[in-house]
Amino acid sequence: MTKRFSLTPYLFLGPALLGVAVFVLYPIAAVIYYSFTDYSIITPPVWIGLKNFQTLVHDAIFWQALWHSLVYLLVTPILIFLCILLAIVVDRRLPGIYAFRALYYIPVISGSIAVGIAWRLMLDTNGLLNGILLSLELIREPIQWLAEPAYTLPIAMLLTIWLGLGYYMMIFLAGLQNIPEELYDAAVIDGCNGWQKHWYVSLPGLRPQVTFVAVISSLAALQVFNEIYILTGGLGGILNSGVTIVFYLWRQAFRLQHAGYASAVALVLLVITLAFSIVNIRLLERGAEAGT
Amino acid sequence: MRRAHPAAPRRALETVAWYIILCLVAAVTVFPFVWVVFTSFKGPNDAVFSVPPQLIPRNPTLANYVRVWDQLPIGRFFANSILVAGGTVVLNLVFTSLAAYPLAKMRFPGREVIFYLLLATFIVPPQLTSIPGFVLAVNVFHYYDNILALIFPSLASVFNIFLLRQAFRTVPDDLLDAGRIDGASELRIWWDILLPSVRPALATVAIITFVNQWNDFYWPSLMLHTRGRMTLQVGLVALQGMFASDTRGIAAGVVMTVVPILVLFVVLQRQFVRGLTGAVKG
Repeated sequence: MTKRFSLTPYLFLGPALLGVAVFVLYPIAAVIYYSFTDYSIITPPVWIGLKNFQTLVHDAIFWQALWHSLVYLLVTPILIFLCILLAIVVDRRLPGIYAFRALYYIPVISGSIAVGIAWRLMLDTNGLLNGILLSLELIREPIQWLAEPAYTLPIAMLLTIWLGLGYYMMIFLAGLQNIPEELYDAAVIDGCNGWQKHWYVSLPGLRPQVTFVAVISSLAALQVFNEIYILTGGLGGILNSGVTIVFYLWRQAFRLQHAGYASAVALVLLVITLAFSIVNIRLLERGAEAGT
Repeated sequence: MRRAHPAAPRRALETVAWYIILCLVAAVTVFPFVWVVFTSFKGPNDAVFSVPPQLIPRNPTLANYVRVWDQLPIGRFFANSILVAGGTVVLNLVFTSLAAYPLAKMRFPGREVIFYLLLATFIVPPQLTSIPGFVLAVNVFHYYDNILALIFPSLASVFNIFLLRQAFRTVPDDLLDAGRIDGASELRIWWDILLPSVRPALATVAIITFVNQWNDFYWPSLMLHTRGRMTLQVGLVALQGMFASDTRGIAAGVVMTVVPILVLFVVLQRQFVRGLTGAVKG
């Protein structure tokens, strides 16, 4: 083909780029502007300089929310560990293995709202879990699972893990199936037993998948909302025990109509997400280089 | 043959052990659904909470489903969810495959910049964009409380663009050049050569987009307020609020919400799995 400037590629990209410009790029610019204003969405924004950020620094609930979000990131290593294990378990030729994989995938498909509501019903003070524990005589009094501040975050994290198991398992499974059989044969010849084989061959072979899962699941953990919303009935838990940074952003913007203040929170979230993604990818790339 | 003999019982034992592990994990992932289904069929005489717990209803009834159906426009929720998910799928198939073509197969000034710009939008939290998004919906596009508000902003997911770009790159250049020699326009090449060559990837895009939209809650909950305009997820939360302590009714609502997407999953299981895992190729 002749090498002259052509509009064609830009026309193909046009609609998608327009969508990204209007629904991602413009909003970033707007959030930066809003963060310097007092804005209630109903009335026009009023410039107040750095006041939102000054308030933010002294806002105890904001710091609590930030801490909760960092704690929430613990779901990532747990998911990686459990899902690699699970992938190894289902990576074998047994009759019915496809059915089991599908069963593990059901929570992924069902969605966090329906599943969250099911959990909420089971964890109710008059719910199934207390019924089981009482009948086994493990507890004497029903436990207020959803009203006890210390439990809010761990239960939400457990729900997130439970919702993600099948998805990340499938990713690791695909990774395992891409590892050449000869590598395992070689490991056996070198004297590796069953689990050593996985330590020396499977884990290094799964590095691209670990990177992917680490990035995706930590982004999801930083952005968690549905689980908290459902388990705390949209309130964030007693004493803000379930308030993460995203939940706080939502409450400030859409419950309290503090869109300017929420924008300042949103910028902090963006910076954290950015920093975290860079660190995540760098660390794992360095690990990959060291491993080869 | 003789050597294999003592190993055989061990083999069998090992297989049994694997099945036990598989069943235990399955119990963990499936049990809440089983419990919800049983609860949704319980009548007033079957206790939801008791010591010891009662799982299976003695007098199964459809009353809970009827009650939920009568008090909430579940049919409308369904229709709205299908419109939203279906509409978004169609728009994404068109616009992301158009955008992926030049990124995969053309050289032009700014390609790298555009590529990395798109990549960077991955990490922008949807909750951040929801603040200006809300303002846009109310003041500019006037689609607040309308399902268009859920379709329009997600017309081209960046994830789908990358997925199709990967797929297009596997199509040989010779095939495209042959088309060009025949005098086909780039649009024709896209439609006649490129799209038919990547059917599995298009199926993946359709499935991922459908499930994501079907299960989305955050943005829909901000946009939809009138009952008749809600999607299933938003409607389910409304139902949960309305039925408060009516555990049986809420359970019926959960079942009605989950069953259609699970049926879809069972029918398209292969495509689902290939789609979701094919997205990560090292």
